[in-house]
Amino acid sequence: MTQKKITTHYDVLCPFCGTLCDDLEVDIADNEIIEMRNSCQIGTKKFFSSNPSGHRYLKPQIKEKGTFRDATWDEALDKAADILIKAKRPLLYGFSSTECEAQGVGAELAEYLRAILDNTASVCHGPSLLAIQDVGAPLSTLGEYKNRADLVIFWGSNPVHAHPRHLSRYSDYVRGYFRKDGRNDRYIVVVDPRNTHTAQIADLYIKVNPNEDYELLNAIRAVLRGVELDAKEVSGVPMEDIKKLVDILKKCHFGVIFFGMGLTQTISHHRNIDSAICLVRELNDHTKFLLTPMRGHYNVAGANQVFTWNTGYAYSIDFSREYARYNPGEFSSVDLLMNDEVDATLIVASDPASNFPAGAVRNMFKHPIIAIEPHHTPTSVYADVILPPAFAGIECEGTAYRMDKVPLRLRKVKDAPVDCLPDKEILERLLEKVKAKEGK
Amino acid sequence: MAEVKLKLKKKPKFPLEADSITPDNFAGKTLAEIKKLPLYHARELVTIGDFFDVSGKAEDVANTKIIIDGDVSNVKRIGEKMTGGEIIINSDVGMHVGNTMSGGKILVKGSADDWAGAMLQGGELEIEGNAGHYVGSAYRGFWQGMKNGTIRVQGKVGNESMLWAKSSKPANKWPTLYCGGASSFLGLHNHGGTMVVDGDVDRCIGADQVRGIIVVKGKISRMLPSFKKLDEVNEITLPNGEIITGKFAQYSGDHSVSKETDGRLYVAIK
Amino acid sequence: MSLTNLILLTGRTINQGVALEGGKVTKENVRAAGICTFDKDDFKKLDCIAGTPVKVTTDFGEVMVYSTITEEGPHPGIIFIPMGPWSNQVVNPDTQGCGTPTYKGMKAKVETVKDGRVLDAIELIGKLKEVQK
Repeated sequence: MTQKKITTHYDVLCPFCGTLCDDLEVDIADNEIIEMRNSCQIGTKKFFSSNPSGHRYLKPQIKEKGTFRDATWDEALDKAADILIKAKRPLLYGFSSTECEAQGVGAELAEYLRAILDNTASVCHGPSLLAIQDVGAPLSTLGEYKNRADLVIFWGSNPVHAHPRHLSRYSDYVRGYFRKDGRNDRYIVVVDPRNTHTAQIADLYIKVNPNEDYELLNAIRAVLRGVELDAKEVSGVPMEDIKKLVDILKKCHFGVIFFGMGLTQTISHHRNIDSAICLVRELNDHTKFLLTPMRGHYNVAGANQVFTWNTGYAYSIDFSREYARYNPGEFSSVDLLMNDEVDATLIVASDPASNFPAGAVRNMFKHPIIAIEPHHTPTSVYADVILPPAFAGIECEGTAYRMDKVPLRLRKVKDAPVDCLPDKEILERLLEKVKAKEGK
Repeated sequence: MAEVKLKLKKKPKFPLEADSITPDNFAGKTLAEIKKLPLYHARELVTIGDFFDVSGKAEDVANTKIIIDGDVSNVKRIGEKMTGGEIIINSDVGMHVGNTMSGGKILVKGSADDWAGAMLQGGELEIEGNAGHYVGSAYRGFWQGMKNGTIRVQGKVGNESMLWAKSSKPANKWPTLYCGGASSFLGLHNHGGTMVVDGDVDRCIGADQVRGIIVVKGKISRMLPSFKKLDEVNEITLPNGEIITGKFAQYSGDHSVSKETDGRLYVAIK
Repeated sequence: MSLTNLILLTGRTINQGVALEGGKVTKENVRAAGICTFDKDDFKKLDCIAGTPVKVTTDFGEVMVYSTITEEGPHPGIIFIPMGPWSNQVVNPDTQGCGTPTYKGMKAKVETVKDGRVLDAIELIGKLKEVQK
């Protein structure tokens, strides 16, 4: 038996969730992932999914008469450019699972096409950004929480499932500089309608009625101000428990609220976050308190950063009048699609066919779709052109922003299949094609 | 009053952005000049003449009345920033109608989409049907929205209407909304706006209100816990001088913002 | 058997996350995301074994998924479908003007369909593609 030569890479970033773990160890032999250490189940799966498999696109694809055929890059880019130029209201969407330089080219392409530019924050933490734009936000970085926080609250967030190593690296089971006893030095609170796996390992679980988080936050803020409320119970939580919680909040040394889709995707959306931010700000009259959104994708924060420094806005941007305008609800992907206002889409590093409500997908399917997607997904399978990329963070380098907006460097640990190009290069070549066709 | 009649020739395939349709932009122009004014149809720059038949004549701003016929439910920004004159829209209308206007009058003989009367600085906006979300609200990132003027919606308004409304006692500016009903978060972050609702409202009314008056003549589906009942009154005097009679429970709020507040919410007692 | 007056929540599960990275068009994905999780006591009222297909209906659509019993309860009156193609047939697409659909908190009802067919992702999403003439 011949020994394979194994190369080990250390301190590799994980390109899955917003926790952006930076301590992965990856063993490579013959340009394949052999073993992963330190990564969670999902991160491990992602790395292994870059190995040769039946469901990865190895060459550009063009759909003809209902089936895909292999195409050259030139052909495929040509067809994609035609689709985008012909469209009157093209949408460029996704960007959250690729690196920052690619996102920058995406912004440039959208501006050139006078298209709509949007990323997955639109259906995820967009409401958090809306709230921050209205009332600001006292944020910090994960290292600060790891070292200082003695009260950690997960509100509408279930990290055991969505951010598996968050608890062991930053928020719960880790020793910090001022939290030398790790878990025993922290008090964990979970607010959720369900007794989630995260709630089950918390010190205090508060069961809140679905769709009623706003009222609970509102009551907590009033009690914090010393107001005696008339209600005996708010959102399913007895007033005594609310008062006890307010005591816990005031008496900690350093508190943090991590919040997720439980607040952004329920009725009241960004106003839930608005109230949570105001609560955290008001707690700073009593102690030190901060909050951080649990970003879902490993580089959606990066997409927001890159779009903002390029256009002035973080997502849901319209270029149709030759300058950047921003208005979620009007220029957000799902709203546009529900109105059937988009007549072509370029989907980069995301899978809206799986993640958008059915009505939006139905309208998206009525028009041409270009997918920059490595794997077979419901979006790519129903696309008209597929441009196969290299996996950012596995097969090409780049920058990604963690959920707390810390930029970290993604590594390249193996080569991409020969006909798979980095997202950045695909978008650059697409932009060139579009410019050439328009004679510029 | 001189009248300019616009009749929609063909229904736009994408929303049409028509911020050039205002008495200010038409004043002093010939019909030929009005026809050449720009509209945006998705990313295509077109003209009023491409989409509308134009007839009549314009005078100065205050004496120009624009009458719009045809289904403009997909036409946005009509009346944007106008300072005087009148616009009558004989159908449903798209987003942003009358936004940032500071004078004059708009009448929509139908329903309006989101952001109707956003950032209103003065003038009157009347909608006979329903209106969408963000009626009379501040735009994204603005912490002061409607500062003056009156919006009347006979039907129901959507969420977050009158967001960040700001009054001014020294300047005698009292931004006011009259509506037949409201969804949630009416008067959110209110800094002095006045809202009078003839019918029912949903939840979180007056959330984060710092000062201002909200009157609900119908029912509230759920009151915010941070509002405290003060007493019952038989008469409410609005800052613009109008007096409302009837039996109302008076609440102070929003106490999540401050322990003492001048903000008031009145709910009818049946 | 059926249950009414439920609230449907959707969201991430670790299995769904693993399955989507492993291939969204696989059987693993159906078993990870094409499911509806019930509170233990609520499930008893359905009088069926775990795994029986159920039809979940909201004001926005209906979808057939496999039933399972929650490990994250009790949550009487609440059902949970992981995020993905199945939940997206029944979530509220309305964003109330803020851009983000209301993926959580829909009123729902459920009925068991013993021989119900739970579609895989490709077939399920394929139904949204109208036949082009």
